[in-house]
Amino acid sequence: MKIRTIFYLMGQGFMNIIKNQLMSFASITTISACIFMVGIFYTVSVNMDYMLDAIETTMGMTVFFDEGTSEEQIIEIKSLLEARSEVHKVNYISPEEAWTNFKNEYFTGKEDQLAGFEGENPLKDSASLEVYFARLETQKDLVAYIEALPNVRNIRQAEQVVEIMQSFNTLVRYSSLVLVAILLIISIFLISNTIRLGISTRQKEIEIMKYIGAKDAFIKGPFIIEGAIIGIIGTVIPLSIIYVFYERVIEVVTTEFVLISNYLIFMNIMDIYKNLVPMAALFGIMIGLIGSRVTIHKYLKV
Amino acid sequence: MIRLENVTKVYPNGVKALDDVSFEIEKGAFVFIVGNSGSGKSTLIKMLMKEINPTSGSLYVEEKDITKLRRSKIPKLRRSIGVVFQDFRLLEKMTIYNNVAFTLKVTEAPIRTIRRNVPMVLSLVGLSQKANMHPKQLSGGEQQRAALARAIVNNPPILLADEPTGNLDPKTSWEIMKLLLDINLRGTTVVVVTHDKEVVNSMKKRVITLREGRVIRDMQKGDYGYEN
Ligand SMILES: Nc1ncnc2c1ncn2[C@@H]1O[C@H](COP(=O)(O)OP(=O)(O)OP(=O)(O)O)[C@@H](O)[C@H]1O
Ligand SMILES: [Mg+2]
Repeated sequence: MKIRTIFYLMGQGFMNIIKNQLMSFASITTISACIFMVGIFYTVSVNMDYMLDAIETTMGMTVFFDEGTSEEQIIEIKSLLEARSEVHKVNYISPEEAWTNFKNEYFTGKEDQLAGFEGENPLKDSASLEVYFARLETQKDLVAYIEALPNVRNIRQAEQVVEIMQSFNTLVRYSSLVLVAILLIISIFLISNTIRLGISTRQKEIEIMKYIGAKDAFIKGPFIIEGAIIGIIGTVIPLSIIYVFYERVIEVVTTEFVLISNYLIFMNIMDIYKNLVPMAALFGIMIGLIGSRVTIHKYLKV
Repeated sequence: MIRLENVTKVYPNGVKALDDVSFEIEKGAFVFIVGNSGSGKSTLIKMLMKEINPTSGSLYVEEKDITKLRRSKIPKLRRSIGVVFQDFRLLEKMTIYNNVAFTLKVTEAPIRTIRRNVPMVLSLVGLSQKANMHPKQLSGGEQQRAALARAIVNNPPILLADEPTGNLDPKTSWEIMKLLLDINLRGTTVVVVTHDKEVVNSMKKRVITLREGRVIRDMQKGDYGYEN
C-alpha cells in the first residue's frame, strides 16, 4: 500500500468521526471512562505497593528476652535471625542504649527526677533486638518462629497499618477490575455501533469501491482507523486528567489523613506514567480495534 | 475473453435464475443480451463481477476460471471489468471529475495517470465542460456518460452495461449507445444488457436471448426477435 493511500485512508477515518459526531462522542466518553478507571486503579495500586515497600523496610518488631538472658545468648539469636531470608536487618539494643533512649524520651528537661537512678540501670534486663522485615507477607511465620525460640519473653509489633493498607489495596484492585470490565464491554459495543453507522452512511460508496476493484484493506481501512482514533482520543483524555489532578489529590490526601501522613509516600507521576502510558495506549487502541473489527467483520463483506 | 460452460445459478430461495448456460464472447466483440424481466440477465452480470458464484459450471474471464478465484484476487478481476448500471451510481458529494478519478484513486494509480486519463475520458464522453459540476446538476444522459467515463478510465479490457439506457429517453439512449460503440472501437469488449428494441434492431450486433434462465437464441447481426 502506498503512503499516499495510507494518508487518504486516515483522512477518511477522521472524516467518519467528524461526520458521526454524536456516536463518536459517546464512544470516546466510554473509552475514556474505562481508561480513566484503569489509570486510577493503576496509580492507586502502584502507590500502595510503593508505600508498603517503604513501610516494610522501616517497620519492624522488637523482641524482648527473659530476665538473666546473657548478651552472648542474645547475639546468638541475632545471628540466627539474620540468617533468615524474611529478615531485612537486626539491631541489638543493649540495656545501656535502652536506658539512654528511655531517658531521652521521658526525662528530657526533668533530669532532677533521675537523681535516685545514678550508677544503676533499671532496664538492665531489657536488652532487645529490633527486627526489620524483608517482606511483610511472611511476618506471621517469622513471629511464630521467634516466639518458639528459647529465652524470648515477648514481641511487640506494629502490623495493623500494614494490614489495613493491604486489604484496602485488594479492595481497590477487585472493585476496579469489575468496573473496568463493565466499561470495556460498553465501549466495545458503542464503538462497533459507531462504526456500523459510518458503514451504513457510506454504503453506496463502499459498493462502488467494490466493483471498481478496491482491495479489502482500502475499503476497511477508514473504519479500522476510525476505531483506532477513537481509542487514542479515549486514552489521551483520561491520562491528561489524571496527570493534571495527581498532585492536587496527593495534597488533599496528605492533609486529610495527617495521622498516617508519615506512611503516605507518593510516587512521582513520571515514574507512574512511564508504565501507564504505553499500557493504557495499548489498551485503548485494542478496544478501538476490537470494536471496529467486530462490525467490519459482520457488515463489510467483499 | 468471456466463456461460460454449463453455468447454473440457483438462489438460496430456490429460484433457478440461470439454467445450464454456455456461450463465448471473443475479444473486441460487441454483444447484446436481451430477455424478459427475470430471465437472468443481471444474474449473469453479477456472476462476471464475482459478486455471486454459480451453483455449478465454470466462468472464464481472460482464460481464467473465476469460479476458482481466491478472494484476494477479486479486486484484480474487477479492475479488468468496467461496469455501468441503469441508476448511474455516482457519488453525489463529489464532482464529476472526482467521481471519475475515484476509480484511479481506489486502484492506487500514480497521480500522473490520474491527471492524464481523467480529462481524456471526460472529453471522450463529452463532459469536459462539466467536470466541476456535481451529479445532481447533470441530466440523466450526462450522468450516464460520467458513469461510463468512470468505468473505462483505467482502460479495462471488458465493459459490462446493465440496462444503461433504462432511465433515458430514446434520443439520449442513442447517444449512449454510440458512445458504447466508440468505446468498443477502441478495442474494449462490450456486453450490453438492454430492453431497447429499436437500438438492438438497428445496430446489427450479436444478440444473445435469455428466457427463464436459458439461452434460447444466439445470433450474429441479430435482432431483438420477440415482443416484450
Ligand atoms: N438475490 C436474489 N435472491 C433470490 N432470487 C433472486 C435474487 N436476484 C434475482 N433473483 C431472481 O432470479 C431471477 C433472475 O433475476 P435477474 O435479476 O437476473 O433478472 P433480469 O433478467 O436482470 O431481470 P430485469 O430485466 O427485470 O432486470 C428472478 O426470478 C429474480 O427474482
Ligand atoms: Mg436486471
